Amino acid sequence: MPMLSDKQKLMRRLQQSSFALTEANLYLDSHPTCKDGLKYYSQHKKEHDELMAQYTEKYGPIRAEQTDTEKEWSWAVTPFPWERGES
Amino acid sequence: MWQYEKKLQYPVNIKDPNPALAKVIVSQLGGPDGELGAALRYLNQRYAAPCREVQAILSDIGTEELSHMEMIGTILYQLTRNLSMKEIKESGFDVYFVDHTTGVYPIAASGVPFTAATFQSTGDAIADLTEDLAAEQKARVTYDNILRLTDDPDVREPIKFLRAREIVHFQRFGEGLRMVQDMLDSKNFYAFNPSFDK
Repeated sequence: MPMLSDKQKLMRRLQQSSFALTEANLYLDSHPTCKDGLKYYSQHKKEHDELMAQYTEKYGPIRAEQTDTEKEWSWAVTPFPWERGES
Repeated sequence: MWQYEKKLQYPVNIKDPNPALAKVIVSQLGGPDGELGAALRYLNQRYAAPCREVQAILSDIGTEELSHMEMIGTILYQLTRNLSMKEIKESGFDVYFVDHTTGVYPIAASGVPFTAATFQSTGDAIADLTEDLAAEQKARVTYDNILRLTDDPDVREPIKFLRAREIVHFQRFGEGLRMVQDMLDSKNFYAFNPSFDK
């Protein structure tokens, strides 16, 4: 296992949290009134939003709308995820 | 509408380029059971789904397939970087290279370009969902075969993730099919098209 950069470590946490939401979302599509599922989703949503805010503040936007427009359009300048070391 | 997120669903970081492997993995981009076909199948079928839950399942799984297309594109991109002409010729990648250089193009490993003829949108939710169950199993088989063809852990890990997603999607489509079947009443015991015959 190669050494992960701090950026990659945070990205992995975001990916894990995001995946929990994707998985719960699909489950809830076929079980829309499941209380445990709804609770699971809302807990992970909170964690996801915190990680997303942490990541975008440090490393730039994940979605174009998160771009800080003070200096430059960083959306077009920060790396895309298919590059090695970006995921 | 859709919004792009600048992140992969699961990490892909491949140390060793391997054009021969790219030549077979490309089938999961543009082949008969690939991710592009999966995304287009579900995202086009969803209009005929007779209930909201199945509309949601098709929309969300179709969307997830787009992120899988991006993972396969990333694997292909990283497997084909910094190649010498010698490596291109000796690996058999030359037959792809002649048309696409190292560009990512949706094609089956056999050389057939992506075609919508590999999937259906019948306008009948029972027929569509039954196809979707088979589609997830067929994609799972392709991932099993890719896993038989490589021992590189950098490639195996994301492929194992994608294989597991086929199994989860199969489960969700099974629930969707059951829901549609439960909606059929005694007047439609023989499952005439619940999307068209009101």
